[in-house]
Amino acid sequence: MNIFFLQFLLGILFLSIFYLHLAKKNFGAVIAYSIQSLIITLILFTSFLETNSFFLLFVVLVTLVIKVILASVFFFRLIQKHKLTFSVSTYLNLPLTLIVLAGFTAIAHSQKFLSLTNIIPAHQALLSLALSAIFISLFLVINRKDALSQAVGILSLENSIVAFAIFAGLEQSPMLQFGIIFDIFIWLVISTVFISMIYRHFGSLDTSTMKHLKD
Amino acid sequence: MVNLLTTESGFFLLLLLYSLGAIGSLFFRKKDELANGWQSFFAIIGSLWGIFFSISAFFTGNLSFVAYSSVFPLLSFSFHIDQLSAFFIFVISLITLFCSLYGIGYIKHYYKKYSISALGFFYHLFIIGMLMVVTASNGLFFLIAWEIMSIASYFLVVYDHNDVNNTKAGFLYLVMTHVGTAFIILAFLLMYKFTNSFDFESIQAQAVAIPVFIKNTIFILALIGFGTKAGIIPFHIWLPVAHPAAPSHVSALMSGVMIKTGIYMMIRLFLDILQPIPLWWGITILIIGSLSALLGVLYALTEHDIKKLLAYHSIENIGIILLGFGSALVFISLGNTLLALFGLGAALFHTLNHATFKSLLFLSAGSVINQTHTRNMEAYGGLIKYMPQTAFFFLVGSMAISALPPFNGFFSEWLTFQTLLQGMTSVNILVKSTFVLATGALAITGGLALACFVKAFGATFLARPRSTEVAHAKESSLSQLIGMGALALCCLLFGIFSGYLGSLFINIGTHLTVFRNISLPPILSSKINFIAPNNFGSVSALALIVFLILALFIVVLLVKFVINRNQKTKIGATWDCGTNLTPRMEITATGFARSIILIFAGILRPSIQNEIEYRDSKIRYFPKSRTVTLRTRDIYRLYFYLPLNKFITTLSVRAKAIQSGSINMYVFYILIAVAIALFLS
Repeated sequence: MNIFFLQFLLGILFLSIFYLHLAKKNFGAVIAYSIQSLIITLILFTSFLETNSFFLLFVVLVTLVIKVILASVFFFRLIQKHKLTFSVSTYLNLPLTLIVLAGFTAIAHSQKFLSLTNIIPAHQALLSLALSAIFISLFLVINRKDALSQAVGILSLENSIVAFAIFAGLEQSPMLQFGIIFDIFIWLVISTVFISMIYRHFGSLDTSTMKHLKD
Repeated sequence: MVNLLTTESGFFLLLLLYSLGAIGSLFFRKKDELANGWQSFFAIIGSLWGIFFSISAFFTGNLSFVAYSSVFPLLSFSFHIDQLSAFFIFVISLITLFCSLYGIGYIKHYYKKYSISALGFFYHLFIIGMLMVVTASNGLFFLIAWEIMSIASYFLVVYDHNDVNNTKAGFLYLVMTHVGTAFIILAFLLMYKFTNSFDFESIQAQAVAIPVFIKNTIFILALIGFGTKAGIIPFHIWLPVAHPAAPSHVSALMSGVMIKTGIYMMIRLFLDILQPIPLWWGITILIIGSLSALLGVLYALTEHDIKKLLAYHSIENIGIILLGFGSALVFISLGNTLLALFGLGAALFHTLNHATFKSLLFLSAGSVINQTHTRNMEAYGGLIKYMPQTAFFFLVGSMAISALPPFNGFFSEWLTFQTLLQGMTSVNILVKSTFVLATGALAITGGLALACFVKAFGATFLARPRSTEVAHAKESSLSQLIGMGALALCCLLFGIFSGYLGSLFINIGTHLTVFRNISLPPILSSKINFIAPNNFGSVSALALIVFLILALFIVVLLVKFVINRNQKTKIGATWDCGTNLTPRMEITATGFARSIILIFAGILRPSIQNEIEYRDSKIRYFPKSRTVTLRTRDIYRLYFYLPLNKFITTLSVRAKAIQSGSINMYVFYILIAVAIALFLS
């Protein structure tokens, strides 16, 4: 598969995470997550075209169903049920957030991580971008106060790790991938239940209010 | 049969017998008598087999084998049984045999109160742990065995869990034993770093490759780790609370045997594996030994809890053992291997002797507590009338621990004295001063120990009962008497045959690497005589016993036929100054020790509190009661453990600041950790 096409896909994935940091409405954040999951599905599909493994095709289909369709459905229902149109504020304001994002992207592309991003020299640029995606996904969980954005951030982190693994040639057996996707499905169910519980108990999705649970 | 004794199968049979005892006990959860019978049977059979096996292994030589090579490359379940290990197996088996015999009768008072099957399970597991500790030849396997021993003994300490003091004691023991284990792990890791092996033989072969600084660090870590288990001062604080908490036959095993596993590993590491060693190691151990012996007996004097008193005497005796062992290390460093061998012999002999008389004392104390339901000696008195045989056995144990001939304690302390006195002839001023200090400490310790047991025996068995419980006391059961009687006999026999035993202990030393290839001069002139090197001093056990019997015979003759020749026997009431004699007029244990405590007031920091309750608080002429409370401060707790506890608590409170309760903050920590891990990779 054309490296430029893969770079394009990864670029969109990176931008989708960037957008998650900027998004003010939960609906937009879920759409962005669906897009990045679709990109992961496409990247996996390109692997299928190269290997012609039908088990991989099955994994692609399961990924599409769970990550792109089911996850979105879960989150949309949650938003509608509790009328969570707008996300809760962030810890850092927008300019500072952008500076941190730029910082993480620069660090991921720096020489310090060369030993990691140079696993496959041909994919160095892709791996640096995937590493940036990992960092800024983690930062999304840190910077956002609402539970929904944090859940999306964790799923986005998982997508970034999958992307990094694919481009680093660290793809595991289809059985393992299937197991991971199953894990994510269970996680989705539990996290939506938890988010509902937080909302019911605190009247908001702001996780900083959970401090009161401390002794 | 003989072949089985000298092979690895013989050792596995030993472990199997105890394993059957442990697992089998669990099947009798609701049948206390059957559980008691099962566990006692396997403990007795196992210990008898252990005695035969260890004697056979002692005379046949080294036995090394790998039981199972695990999937982990560094861990192998390998054993090495040389003379030193065989000696410790013998000590463990001997004490287990008599404690188990005693246990048959003793355990009965736990029926319907606590689970007898659980007691049997942990009792056997504890013995298995000790046996594996003294035979393991791989560091990781050793740590597994060490943990089995420690955890099993913890459950035995908290066995009587209805008493909140016992659970507290168990917690302290658990914390301290794991602090010690942490130091041991660090020592093993350092050895591994420079030898690439956890196998003791490999480490020994490559010990010269370990840099001096690292070797010294290993020594300090191992000394703290194994010293904590042995109960050396200042790491002893768990011992006086944990040993009394356990059932008495377990206390006897813990105090008589378990703490010696720390001594075993010190001998194994410092004298066998890490050679050559610097001079200061031996000097440090001599100083610690002196302090432990002296302070141990001083604290014992202040106690009126009979089991705590005995526990403090364990610290004292560990100190005496360390005096012999420390001398051996010093002499090795000075190149005098003969004297070193002599010092090691003294340490090993006292190890065996302390195991016998301390077990005897714990068992007889257990019988007393069982009848009076208190550990407070002030509530005893006059028990000799109700428990005459127990009193006799306690007296034998007291005489042995006080180093009175012809019992075994005298001969091992004599050997230790001889070693220390030889050290005083050294030209090195530091060595000379240390030996002078150690000799002085041992001399004072001996005197104080005697005073302490005069107090313990007098307050417990003599005079009149000081509580109603004493009047209801009955003699111990037959199995208890057999257990105590056998140990009392051992105290006497080990004394009588001290010359022969001494030659065996010297023989143990000659099989350690450091003593190999040396020609032995006639340190022992015969099998019944001890002769110190250079003919400095000697004592004959046989001559001593003949002299004592003769002296006794002459005294009896004199009293009966010369002094009382013309006197007639009259039986009447004792003159009591016209008042009724009451138990309140007796000297108490606290009163007896008071003058000695005040002499050592600088160390013990006593405080005396007088309380008077008047019949009429306004007219203070007629006191209703007077109470004098003599307390001593635990200086280790006050000046070491409490400040340490305060420091750790402050640190913990500050560290708690990172526990903000914010999920975002926790994920931020993860990000930092990931970034650092990636950066370092």
